[in-house]
Amino acid sequence: MLVPEAPAVWNALKGLICIYKPAEVPVKKLRNIFIHKMCQELNNLKVRPPSGYVDIQGDPSKQLTVLVRPNLADNPLVVGPRYQEQDLPVSWSNYLGYNTSGVLLFGVKSGTKQAKHIRENLPTRSYRVKGVLGQVTDNCYKTGKVIQKSTWKHVKRENMDKFLSAMQAAHQKKMFELCGVDMQSQAAYDLAIQGLIRPANSKIPVIYGIKCVEFDGPEFTLEIQCVNEYEDYLMHLINEIGLKLHSTAHCTGIQCIRHSRFTIENALLMKHWTLPNILENMEKCEEVLKNNQGTSVTLA
Amino acid sequence: MSSFRKINEKLVTLGVRYVSGPKRKYPINPALADDLPVFQYKPSKKTHRVFCWGNAQTGALGIKGLLEKEATTLRFPKRLGFGEKFEVVTAAAGYGFTVFAIDSSTDVKLYGTGINSDSQLGLHEIRKDHPLEIIFYPQPISLPIRYPETTKILKLAAGRAHLLVLTDEGVFLLGNNAYGQCGRKIIPNEDYIKSNVINHLDKIDGKNIVDVECGQDHSLLLAEDGSVYTCGWGADGQTGLGHFKSTENFSKVEGDIQGEKIVQLACKSDFVLALNDKGEAFGWGNTEYGQISLPNNEQQLANPTCIDMVNKLGKITSVASGGSFCLVANDSGQVFSWGYGLLGLGPNADMSKKPLKIPETLFGRNDFQPDTRVIKVRCGLNYSAAVTNSGDLFVWGRNRDCCLGLGHEKDQYFPLKVAIGGFVQDVFCGLDHTVALCKPFI
Repeated sequence: MLVPEAPAVWNALKGLICIYKPAEVPVKKLRNIFIHKMCQELNNLKVRPPSGYVDIQGDPSKQLTVLVRPNLADNPLVVGPRYQEQDLPVSWSNYLGYNTSGVLLFGVKSGTKQAKHIRENLPTRSYRVKGVLGQVTDNCYKTGKVIQKSTWKHVKRENMDKFLSAMQAAHQKKMFELCGVDMQSQAAYDLAIQGLIRPANSKIPVIYGIKCVEFDGPEFTLEIQCVNEYEDYLMHLINEIGLKLHSTAHCTGIQCIRHSRFTIENALLMKHWTLPNILENMEKCEEVLKNNQGTSVTLA
Repeated sequence: MSSFRKINEKLVTLGVRYVSGPKRKYPINPALADDLPVFQYKPSKKTHRVFCWGNAQTGALGIKGLLEKEATTLRFPKRLGFGEKFEVVTAAAGYGFTVFAIDSSTDVKLYGTGINSDSQLGLHEIRKDHPLEIIFYPQPISLPIRYPETTKILKLAAGRAHLLVLTDEGVFLLGNNAYGQCGRKIIPNEDYIKSNVINHLDKIDGKNIVDVECGQDHSLLLAEDGSVYTCGWGADGQTGLGHFKSTENFSKVEGDIQGEKIVQLACKSDFVLALNDKGEAFGWGNTEYGQISLPNNEQQLANPTCIDMVNKLGKITSVASGGSFCLVANDSGQVFSWGYGLLGLGPNADMSKKPLKIPETLFGRNDFQPDTRVIKVRCGLNYSAAVTNSGDLFVWGRNRDCCLGLGHEKDQYFPLKVAIGGFVQDVFCGLDHTVALCKPFI
């Protein structure tokens, strides 16, 4: 079997990769696992042999003998494996919280710059957030301690839809106020007729779209398109929706289904993290970036 | 320790969940949740909520606390306590006063608050010969209703200082009659403050009345066959009777609307828009701001005229007429405005003789809400409002005494959503205050 050369693979290993983050693993840990796995796989390939040690012996006034001996200073047993974990720079483009699962973008080597650009461009993300009516917990998530219980049978699908559409409109209004222009100017009008705009601030969460995609008994699933959000914000959003619907609710699961143009189909599961798959994923990500240059602001 | 970490990493790569989580001092006992009481929450009892905002000095907002705080304006929509006590079915906002119609089986079906300088809110005498000229909290207005158990108030309309109440028993007209706007004989130097005269019209020409509308100092009635009757001040032709004199008695309007079945009337000051069942708009009154362009630079139009430029815009479903501009919405939810003032198209568009389309994106239509469309348009004297099918209220225009409810005193040059905690059903715009009737979300 032909084992590929590790240096060639190492050189090809640069760019963006789209992976699937499972819940209950922190992003930092996931990054370490990824680096560890990559280095392990690279070291299993045909790595560079230790360079020779050139030994010149003899009296300089007479003839010298030149010997090439194995170099102990370049031996993997002395200096460690050829590819080490601190050599592979990896950064994330979107941070997902501890309990969130879903699409996560990693920038590898020169791809860290791309990851930074995507992050600073404030792209929108889509989430599927699951909630349960009738109970509220102390951390608004299913792992918390139940602190209140209430009735929920009076909450119907149409109540949920009505409230969510009002919430969405309120957030879209907020979006104008956060765009950073004087509302009384022509510039504000020109911005407003474009439709959805991204906020100038990267700290305040803005929801572009929120709708209920599934409503069954006390359980419901929301699909949320937003920017600048964080895990706690989404959990507390579910809590607030519960209160506004004359009931209580807590969150039972958060899944990021789209980050910028990268959807859940692009995401690579942890069990598929092998070098061929990673390199293929990198090519696909490159393609996604190329196909969507200068397209709609709302989804990018 | 490092070996332990490695084992964990191995576990994770093998697809086994990493076993950790938030650290708690005391582990959660799930059994404790079973002992918790279940709170019995219910949907709202009232089917309507009333919000109001704008100038608080006239008392038209009907909120007691504002008087004690000496607040001059209410910048944000505030839920009215009155609306929680009574089931408000409709309302009207006049020039500094508000009236609410409630669902009741007694003869007290109407409440009013605000300026009462012409007894437009009825006679409220605490002491003899000292009637209240201003009311700060909604007070009952008693109407001479014959069958209080069954009669319902269908529509209210308020002008500068007069009020029209449409019930199953006909129309009741209260307030100032200096130009005959109450449909009765003009009495020179009549003392309106101490007057308790309520004019009642059972039918008009033997036909039932289905709609009422008020201009500044004139009144319009819509009969069941679609004909329009007007009376009151006609100096700018706003009565549409072909002359410029004041009229004491309701007279039938002719001109282009003769034979047409009118379904909707709109007027706030002195230009009237009428809509027929085919979705065509007609107008008459003061057109000095180019609401209808007339030859010879004439500015008064005393005969109803079909507005051809509007009829090209598709089937019109809602019309509104402000002090100096007009607003229409068609069946696909597009909104057009023309005239003079803040037309809703940015600071540069302040005058247009042709209808200009306000982009739909400003009313919330985007990739995430593709079905949003405007179903109702309303005008105050210097500002406009639009209600969408998703229950959102959008406002723009001159922000006199914060009547836009956007939280500041600056003018708004394009439609912006008002933050209201309810599903907006209808909105009533006055001179410097606004009342919105909403449904609760649940």
